[in-house]
Amino acid sequence: MTRNAVKANDERDKGPAGKDGTLARRDLFRVAGLGAGALGAAVAGTVAAVPEAEAAPAEPQTTGYRETDHVRKVYEVSRF
Amino acid sequence: MSRAVVDHNVQPPVAEEEHLRAQIYTLLARLLARAPDAGLLAALGGLAGEGGEFGTALDRLAEAARGSDPAAVEDEFTTLFIGVGGSERTPYGSYYLTGFLNEKPLADLRADMARLGIARADTVTEPEDHIAALCEMMAGLIGGEFGDGAVGLDGQRAFYDRHVGSWAGRFFADLETSPSARFYRAVGAVGRAFLAVEARAFDLAA
Repeated sequence: MTRNAVKANDERDKGPAGKDGTLARRDLFRVAGLGAGALGAAVAGTVAAVPEAEAAPAEPQTTGYRETDHVRKVYEVSRF
Repeated sequence: MSRAVVDHNVQPPVAEEEHLRAQIYTLLARLLARAPDAGLLAALGGLAGEGGEFGTALDRLAEAARGSDPAAVEDEFTTLFIGVGGSERTPYGSYYLTGFLNEKPLADLRADMARLGIARADTVTEPEDHIAALCEMMAGLIGGEFGDGAVGLDGQRAFYDRHVGSWAGRFFADLETSPSARFYRAVGAVGRAFLAVEARAFDLAA
């Protein structure tokens, strides 16, 4: 009984081309500690959250450096 | 154990283990783009590895996260990657491959990015061969988020071999031994362990 079951399993593993590689990969990930839930929902969720676009800082009322449209244009064209 | 959580009626767009790879790349990208905030540190502190070299590295990362406060990690990140008058590590592919920034490897990367339908975000000024950008690209390639969709393992492998595997392992090893690194030593270990598995897995799929 048991032998039969094992044999059937073996045959299934030898299925269509590319199947072996997929299973071997899966085994490797599992053995290496990359199981399905390895990262946990908390981390995955925190990381996947797209950071909210930062609101443009209010223009300070000073006579010092200000990022005017002209300055922004210079930054834009000097991008490498 | 975790089986109960999986809803088999919903077919995932990518296989489970491939999805996990994308998540790990996303996590590495996030940690290498900017220092983790309190929320992410807390989430990382709750991680429990599942054995193997990668699992052990994950355990150490969780331990490091529990023993770090956000301000200290922020300072560490600045010393390591930004620095005053120079950073301790230079996380760019071109630098690792040629000794200089913005060299031919960056040009090659830009050509491949254009071919795959990937572009640098408008708000980003760093060159595209930054390790965090490359990790994001790998995650996106696995999830089929760019251009015409999934590139398959062959496409992933070609991109990985050329732009990631050729140097990122050395970078993560350097990060592990950076004198100023505390939390980021653990990040380096996770990255190195993960890339070692990636390289072996690509060989198996070939």
